[in-house]
Parts: sequence; structure tokens; C-alpha cells
Amino acid sequence: MFTNATIIAAGQSQYTRRPEPGQTTHTFIRDAAVAALRDAGINASEIQGMAVTSFSLAPDTAIDLAWRLGLSLRWLLQDTNGGSSAMNMLGHALRGVETGAASSILVVAGDATGLGGYAKIAANYNIATREYLAPLGHGGPNGVYSLVTTRQMNKYGLRKSDYGHMAIAQRAWAAKNPFAVYRTPLTMEEYLSSPMVADPLTRYDCVPVVAGAQAIVIAHPDRCPHGRAPVRVRAIHNSFNYDNQEGDGLQTGISTFAHELWNAAGVTPQDIDVASIYDDYPAMVLAQLDDLGMIKDHDLAAFAQREIGERRKPINTWGGMMSAGQPGGPAGGLNGIAEAVLQLQHRAGDRQVKGARRAVTTGYGMTLYRYGGTAAAAILERTE
Amino acid sequence: MNRGVGIWRCTACGAAYFPERLLCSRCHGQTFATEHVTEGVVEEVTVVRHVLGQNEWGPRRLANVQIINGPRITVGLRDESEPGTVITLFQDGNAPFGTAKE
Repeated sequence: MFTNATIIAAGQSQYTRRPEPGQTTHTFIRDAAVAALRDAGINASEIQGMAVTSFSLAPDTAIDLAWRLGLSLRWLLQDTNGGSSAMNMLGHALRGVETGAASSILVVAGDATGLGGYAKIAANYNIATREYLAPLGHGGPNGVYSLVTTRQMNKYGLRKSDYGHMAIAQRAWAAKNPFAVYRTPLTMEEYLSSPMVADPLTRYDCVPVVAGAQAIVIAHPDRCPHGRAPVRVRAIHNSFNYDNQEGDGLQTGISTFAHELWNAAGVTPQDIDVASIYDDYPAMVLAQLDDLGMIKDHDLAAFAQREIGERRKPINTWGGMMSAGQPGGPAGGLNGIAEAVLQLQHRAGDRQVKGARRAVTTGYGMTLYRYGGTAAAAILERTE
Repeated sequence: MNRGVGIWRCTACGAAYFPERLLCSRCHGQTFATEHVTEGVVEEVTVVRHVLGQNEWGPRRLANVQIINGPRITVGLRDESEPGTVITLFQDGNAPFGTAKE
């Protein structure tokens, strides 16, 4: 439990499928940073630390970004763990503020790869991908997670429509998020008839690549703007390379620490009002929820049909990456955290979950070979 | 193209790997013997039909394949093999491919 360190503010840039000339990873990150600092009511000159993650910042690194943003810092971090980066940065930043290494830390993530840039990243994600997957024509992560999804369908008796409930529910949330790139309501008929991308994944199972950035501010609760509840992190855990790629990928690293996480937080899955689950693919959302112990009797199909299909559980209330867009995995992960903060601060506008007090957020990513190798989860709470 | 696929087996404990590791994850031994495996069983299949940014893309079949007494690997299928099919493995460059065993 952190007492001196809380999340006080959030901000984001525009999300767009087609960046305008002059819009780059750097300018999207700047826009998100400016929005978050404005939201926090903190001057840039007061920021003492920064954490950043991006697939497309190179050849610049965190120190270049600090320079370009005019930030003179005493604490600096660059994270490279993809869909888990945001959660990783959150943990480091909380510890940084809690221990006094910095009084306030800006956590930013963003990407503007463009379609060509994305294709290069997908084919050169790591040495294993470059040498053993890309020459097969694996098509990036879609090829990998199509196989994982088939395994999950076979093991749990899931039908294609079960995943459709998630895409449709998240699109309904996205309709209430002005930053989401896809906001038109989606029907099951449209979902099921959409073009096949990599069997069994169809168009709406695959996150749309966008350009954009997110940011949050970590600081002592006293720095939270007047009248706003700071958000405390009751517990946060990470996992890296949990099974050496020797399993089936239907569990994530969250399975290794879920009990510790809930015990450390002193709450149970029933206490959660809002969930931000890293949604690179619908199958991995169900896998993470199951690892967290949030799916009764491990019945993934029933959960998809009832809890998601009938909108009993508020999951990915900003629309998730599947509808709001994925500005690279790293920023997509930070989006879920920022949304949880807005929900717990009761600032989520039309999509506000009434009385939201606690949230769970996750990260998942870095496809090593057959599935992801990083995972993380945190329990967030509104402080009164 | 070379017949079979090279995998790496820890000389201390016998654990098999693909791709190559620096240390064995089971015993942390650092010596591996290379071994050519020629057969595997298809477990799941996908067809990659569309790739972002690629306008001229022909469908590619990929499979998760269980090597007998070895690891699971991702293989490019050069035929219509379905789950349950025993396939013959070969390498084109470094990457593993397969066709149904005759």
C-alpha cells in the first residue's frame, strides 16, 4: 500500500488513424504531457521525474524527451515491456514518489508508427520473431494470437459469438468516449460477418493501430487539485517470463501472483467496480480475468455471455484498444490506467460508472514467441 | 531447404528448446546439443489472410506443432494439413515449415 504516492491526474492527446504531416510520436507525447500537467495543476518546472515508453521514440530515449520537453529531472525511466510497460512504470513511479526520490512524476506513453512503421516493428519485434516467425508470413501478433484463440476456444468451449460480446460491449462504451476512433455501435451480425484476418480472428478482434499518447501524474495526495479524490494503489504486481514459453499461453503471468495481489490489497474481486483489462485480443482479456479469479468456475463462455454480453461488469469503459485504438502497446496499457483514474475520480463523463470506488488494471504483452511474456495487475482505490 | 528442424537439447537434463536458449530454464545448464527433428503433430492451424500495410498478400497457413519428445513450435504449412496431421518438417533459412507426412 502506498500512502505518500497517489495518481492525481490524467491526460491524453488526440487519437487518430491517420496522423497529419508534422504529427509525430514526440508531438503526441507532448500533447498528452501538457494535458496531464494541466489536469494536475502542476507547472512543468515542478515535475521532478518522468517515465516514458514508446515503440517509436528511437533513436531518442527518455533523456532526449526530457530535453525536448524542457524538463530538468532527478528521476528518469524508460520502459521496454510493451503492453506491461504502463503498469511497470506505474509501480516504479509510485515507489519513486513514496520514497522521496521525486516529489512528482510524469508517466507518459505514446506512438505514431504509421502502418509501414508498425509492419517493421511487427516483423522485428525480437530476434525470435525476426528469425523464426516473420519468414513464415505470420503477419505480426495476429498470427500468433489466432493460434492462442483457437486453443482457448477448444479448451473452454467458446464460440466466436462469445468474443463478439466483448467487441460489442466495448464499442458501446467507446460511443461515450470522444477520444475513441471507432464509436458507431456494433451489432453481433456485423461482428460475425466481418472479414477474416487470421482464422478465427476477424476485423473486430484486432486492435486498430492509431497514433496517440497518454499521461498520468504521480504525486503526494496533497498535490491533488481541490475537490478531486486522489487515487491510491493498494497493490501492484508484475510477472516476467513466467513459464519460459513452455505452456499453452492460456494463462498469463497474472496467474502467478493473483492471490498475493488480492491479499496485499485487502480486497476481493467482488469489491471491484471497474476493470481495465489489457485488450490486445479478446482471448487475452478472458485469460487475464480468469487469472485474476474474476471468472466463476473458469466458465469463460458464461462470463462472456452474461457478465460482458449483458453488461453486468464494466470492463474497458473507454472502449478498450479494440474500439478506442491502440497507439502502440505501451500507450494502450496506460490508457486503461488513465480510464480507471477518471472513473475513480468520478470524472468519466457519460461513461461514468456510478459510485465507482475500486478498480483493477492490468497489462500484458511482449510476445516472445508463442504468446506474451510480461503481465501485471494493480488494485486502485478512490481516497475520500 | 534442409530436411528437419534444428532444436537444442540441454546436455545436463535433456530439456529441449526452440528457439535456442542461453541457459536451460530447468537446470540452468549452459551446454546444448543440436538435434534435427523431422516430424511433429499439428495442434492448431490459422490462415493469415490480411496483413496491415500489405496490399498484395497471399494467405499463409501457420500451425502450432508439437514435436515428439520436444517443444511446441510455430510452423509454416506448405499444404492443407489440419490439426492431428503428422507432418514432415524442413527449414527454409532458419524458419521451420512442414507438409503432411507421406
